[in-house]
Amino acid sequence: MTLSALDPGAVQLPRETVQLRQEVRDFLAGERAAGTILGRPDSWLTGWDPAFTRRLARRGWVGMTLPRKYGGGGRSNLERYVVIEELLAAGAPVSAHWVADRQAGPTILRHGTEAQRSHFLPRIAAGACFFSIGMSERDSGSDLASVRTRAERTDDGWRLTGTKMWTGGAHVNDHAIVLARTDESEDRHAGLSQFIVNLRDPHVRVEPIRLLSGEHTFNYCHLEGVELTDDALLGRPGDGWQQVTGELALERSGPERFLSTLPLLTALVEQMQRTGGGSPEQQSRVGRLTARLSAIRQLSLGVAAALAAGRPADVQAALVKDLGTRFEGELVNEVREILPTTARFDATRGSYPELLATAILHAPGYTLRGGTNEILRGIITRGLELSR
Amino acid sequence: MSTESATEHPAAPSAERAADALPPLDAPPTTLVALAREAGHHHTPAPLAETLLVARPLLAAAGLAVPDGHLTVATGPLDVRFAHVDTGSRVGPTGAAGTDDALRVSGTLHRVPWARAAEAAVVLTEGPWGGPVLFLLEAAEWRQVTGANLAGEPRDDLVLLDVTVPAARVRRVPAALVREAEWRSGLARAALIAGAARRCVELTVAHTASRVQFGRPLSHFQAVKQEEAKLVEEAALVTAAVEAAAAALAEPDSAEFTAWLAAAQAAASVAEITRIAHQLHGAIGFTELSPLRLATTRMWSWRDEDGGERAWQQRIGRHVLDGEGDHGGEGDGDRLWQRVTSG
Ligand SMILES: Cc1cc2nc3c(=O)[nH]c(=O)nc-3n(C[C@H](O)[C@H](O)[C@H](O)COP(=O)(O)OP(=O)(O)OC[C@H]3O[C@@H](n4cnc5c(N)ncnc54)[C@H](O)[C@@H]3O)c2cc1C
Repeated sequence: MTLSALDPGAVQLPRETVQLRQEVRDFLAGERAAGTILGRPDSWLTGWDPAFTRRLARRGWVGMTLPRKYGGGGRSNLERYVVIEELLAAGAPVSAHWVADRQAGPTILRHGTEAQRSHFLPRIAAGACFFSIGMSERDSGSDLASVRTRAERTDDGWRLTGTKMWTGGAHVNDHAIVLARTDESEDRHAGLSQFIVNLRDPHVRVEPIRLLSGEHTFNYCHLEGVELTDDALLGRPGDGWQQVTGELALERSGPERFLSTLPLLTALVEQMQRTGGGSPEQQSRVGRLTARLSAIRQLSLGVAAALAAGRPADVQAALVKDLGTRFEGELVNEVREILPTTARFDATRGSYPELLATAILHAPGYTLRGGTNEILRGIITRGLELSR
Repeated sequence: MSTESATEHPAAPSAERAADALPPLDAPPTTLVALAREAGHHHTPAPLAETLLVARPLLAAAGLAVPDGHLTVATGPLDVRFAHVDTGSRVGPTGAAGTDDALRVSGTLHRVPWARAAEAAVVLTEGPWGGPVLFLLEAAEWRQVTGANLAGEPRDDLVLLDVTVPAARVRRVPAALVREAEWRSGLARAALIAGAARRCVELTVAHTASRVQFGRPLSHFQAVKQEEAKLVEEAALVTAAVEAAAAALAEPDSAEFTAWLAAAQAAASVAEITRIAHQLHGAIGFTELSPLRLATTRMWSWRDEDGGERAWQQRIGRHVLDGEGDHGGEGDGDRLWQRVTSG
């Protein structure tokens, strides 16, 4: 990386996205009118609504970038970017298909066998097959390569044993992609592999872990001798680490890394509009947030464009995620100060005090999930060192 | 997220009527603040800070006897009339005067801390004579609609249906006492926050010393050390402000202003303290598996419950800027510095 990589330049979205964006907005207006719950912060973590997912899928907005021959939309990553930024900004309930759409689909397309592709991808694109991420364990968070879950060779496949932790949605999703050790002898990055595991297998036991808000999204995922055929292995044995890190740039620079709390800012703006537009002090603070949001979005689009053009962007992605997820938390603090109110989780759902409470109670997650900000800043400074 | 689910919050402590081990009425103010900090530190399931730093002193200042046990405090508009209307002076439908100050009270007091665990509530509202009144309500006199704050602590609505409060429990009070109720509540909450901030530091230091990633305890990493240092700094700031306010409680001239400072600083520091503690805990702190939430969810509630830092900051700023009734008041900027050094 050279320092010039930190100067991404202005991104021009392709013309076809203008109409696409309008279609998504029209769709969302219809959903709003029909009473779908929108406008919620962090809706990609806790907004679980499979019926909404299927309505999106019917429009071709799930698995958009997958090839048509696998039931996907054959659209570009920038087109997908526009669709998901609209959905996130609207606080739409997208968590059911989130991991399948962002991660599992592209991973299976890239590393999967023909049989895996033709089985999973059409189902993902139809909004009928949901995935969890089975990476973290109790003792393996930032240090992911230390995972202890093991897959042992059997006569006709593998036997999987271990406990995954923080597995979002394992209690409601269909499958998980599980990172496991397949070889103890080599260096710790080399002996890892990924498996597609059916979460309804009788040897998978899912145990809830409540968030501090009392909500259920996390789980322990106990893998108690799950018998897998070779069909479950993703790519070749030992490719797990490369697969995991290979997808990171995509995972780290998406609009979900700065838009998680935008619905709260929208609620604040609506509240201020109803009450006369706010004082000059309130207005300037809203302006400050707007300017920062806008600049972060430009950086994020820059990464999306670089990836679309096949350029590596790991360091820029880390930079966007650090800035963006910090912004998600700062936004909550600012909104609280701009229009003080007692945040109440037991207030009417969708009211300003309840949205504020939700955003506050979810705040610890923004700068942890998908790689903590301390780890991201390490990646950024290592990138700088390489450029010296 | 209804009231029901909030009261069944996993963090909701049991709310027994615990009259255990309250300090004597003549305990020194610094002891009372220290006890309130301990209550915040141990997330004590009782209105200890409210009893010691707000309810008891207000009752004493109003010249009412202090009942045993835990007390809570409630303010807000109510429908208050004389219970015994003086028919001789009667004007209008409700009467302009009473033969005594016994009151008939109706209305709802909102989100009263720990009402279900309190023996009685000190209520401050406006009397039928148009000035402030303080009276003591006994627990049997209210109907309770249970509610909870972000931590699941009881914040109950008290519904009063034509409750008669005998004159012996009613006092006409000066406006200054209403202000005192405000700054005392702010100080009580600041003391709780200071205690919980300490808990955040303890839990984080223990966690980063014992949690191993990349073959080393988290506390080995520079980035973790830097954040941990900022956490300790911010918590120290809150403690210092609360201790100054505790020391000033005995000084009529500076008690109010230093309580504002403590309330403003404690509320404003919550965001940074909770952010760092959660960040250094990783995913486990975000869940029921770690006790960190018992401190942080309380802090997120407490900072708002008496108006939030903006309200305290505004009071301080207005006071520093307007120069009303103070020594120095030359109309220059010196007043700011004088107030900082007057404690
Ligand atoms: C909302 C949310 C959803 C999640 N969903 C999933 C999921 O679906 N599936 C899944 O597998 N996992 C999931 N995770 C787990 C997530 O990947 C981990 O939380 C993350 O990798 C951090 O690991 P940890 O929580 O164990 O923290 P730790 O790694 O223990 O880190 C604790 C603190 O130490 C710091 N630290 C650690 N190492 C270093 C270092 N070398 N230098 C500097 N600082 C360091 C960290 O930055 C952090 O501040 C989720 C987490 C969250 C919060």
